[in-house]
Amino acid sequence: MNRRRFLEDAAMLANAAAFSGFAQTAPSPPCPVTLLPMSGYGRDLSREMAAVMSEDGLDLRGKKVLLKPNFVEAHPERPINTHISVIAGAAHACLRLGAAEVVIGEASGHRRDPWFSVLNPSLRDILDKKVRCVDLNHGDAVALRNAGRRTGLPVFYVAAPVARADVLVSMPKMKTHHWMAVTLCLKNLFGILPGVYYGWPKNLLHFRGIDNSILDLARTVKVHYNIIDGVVGMEGDGPIMGKAKPVGALVLSRFPLAADAAAARIMGFEPHRIPYLLQAGRFLPGLKKEDVVLRGENPSRFASRFDCPEEFKGMRGGPFW
Amino acid sequence: MEQPSIGAAAFVSRLLSFSRPDGGFPYYRGGSSSAEPTILAGLALFAAGIPAGRAERLLSWAGALQNADGSLGVNAGCRGQGLWLTAQAAVLFHHYGLKENLAKALDFLVGLKSVTASNNPRIKQDNTLAGWPWVPGTFGWVEPTAWALVALQLSGLGDHPRALEGRKLVLDRRIPSGGWNYGNPALDDRELLPFWDTTGLALTSLCGRADIGPLRPSIDMLEKRQGEIESLCGIAWTVIALQSYGRETAGLRIRLRDLMASSADEDLHAGNYSLGLIALSGKKVFSA
Repeated sequence: MNRRRFLEDAAMLANAAAFSGFAQTAPSPPCPVTLLPMSGYGRDLSREMAAVMSEDGLDLRGKKVLLKPNFVEAHPERPINTHISVIAGAAHACLRLGAAEVVIGEASGHRRDPWFSVLNPSLRDILDKKVRCVDLNHGDAVALRNAGRRTGLPVFYVAAPVARADVLVSMPKMKTHHWMAVTLCLKNLFGILPGVYYGWPKNLLHFRGIDNSILDLARTVKVHYNIIDGVVGMEGDGPIMGKAKPVGALVLSRFPLAADAAAARIMGFEPHRIPYLLQAGRFLPGLKKEDVVLRGENPSRFASRFDCPEEFKGMRGGPFW
Repeated sequence: MEQPSIGAAAFVSRLLSFSRPDGGFPYYRGGSSSAEPTILAGLALFAAGIPAGRAERLLSWAGALQNADGSLGVNAGCRGQGLWLTAQAAVLFHHYGLKENLAKALDFLVGLKSVTASNNPRIKQDNTLAGWPWVPGTFGWVEPTAWALVALQLSGLGDHPRALEGRKLVLDRRIPSGGWNYGNPALDDRELLPFWDTTGLALTSLCGRADIGPLRPSIDMLEKRQGEIESLCGIAWTVIALQSYGRETAGLRIRLRDLMASSADEDLHAGNYSLGLIALSGKKVFSA
């Protein structure tokens, strides 16, 4: 890095420091996690989602909210992406709760063409006109100092609409992952980093270690709420080559690790055996079962056993309920 | 220089309305100037036959973005990021005769080499081939390699050893039944899906530089499945690729024109819109 680039980065970091939303805090357990039944994608759950978010103490009045779903790539038969009806439900729930602005943004990991992500007409057509969709792959970014030490990256270039938001909501799909065992709320943060900076895929993060990158991002970026689409998840060779696995639930929580750990248990995994979740438990609450307060439906109703690549079968556990 | 047609003039005018006071173009209306949409807008103006004088401020913005080592990054605030864009910039510098900028960009490109890896039996591709990465120090991928090939080939460096190996990489990543995915052709024995934009770019980068036989399934696939392609970016790249191989594109061009005319402003990606203009112009911008 030459002097000019260093100074430019320093200037951007100074700007980024103004975003108070990114100061990482460590709330104490217990961490409420709600399991909301949703047997199919036809039903509008915005009212129920708003009720849960409100009960969780999420105050959206007058706030700018950015919903970050997971759009990797589109396949006609595989449930790869967060379903558009879940995204729309969450967006409308935020409007119900008085959000001043609701934006749906994603930096798709595989597809450059935004038509295959949040700018697809199928999503736009079911959204309230007040909701905007933004392509996070192409546009401005803000350099945030990396609060972790694992990747060695001095900063993360975070898409500007994410940095400008008061409230960030992570909305992943419940899936197995052929390198990480599971991909949920924490891994979903890769999609706030623009592809023009990081490429398709975000190969730099792979080179620095996917687990390291997940953990550094988790330390750097404050996620205010999490909604996992487990209505139909993906098992086997996820995150793109697996098979549909119906679970019939949304997982909602203010605590990303608590949501991920609860979802992992629903999928039949022992979260302590998944290395990056175990490491995240050192600075985020919600890994231990006793730290999580499950609300809503009885979890045994949704308990599944997701098929997974052979190397992750030793990470499975349960029954948990 | 040819005069733009009446339809093209309206598209050019709309494109120009995206330009920023500093001379650059943003990805989306109202954003700040970024390298890629600025470069592609410049190429679209060139393809539409707009006199070079009208692109002066745009070229000045792009030239000022170039780093001392010849590379070019995402924007003025992040000059060290997104250096894969140097290849696109070289194409712009080539067409506008900016020889000094071009020479520096090509020097940088020739020195920018992707990391290789040992082969993985699950992924049917040759990981030992070096191409171009999105980010220095990482693996080689189809799109940055294809862009680098376009830049080198246009500039008379098509027989450079780096270009020869780059073409091998792009050919190696072909999906056996046709097309290119953003990454790998197959995992285990299952082919990945072809991406329209990646396929169009890859085919364009190989046009006239590789045996037609291995490319035919991909050209045929684009031609046969063109009705499935709905996005501006996908249709534009398909038209550009099919045109470069002498295939019929009249129907697709009508769809492209309609899509460009009907796209809502807030969704309009200036880079993809520029690709649409390039496709409609019929001019060879990415091959000699």
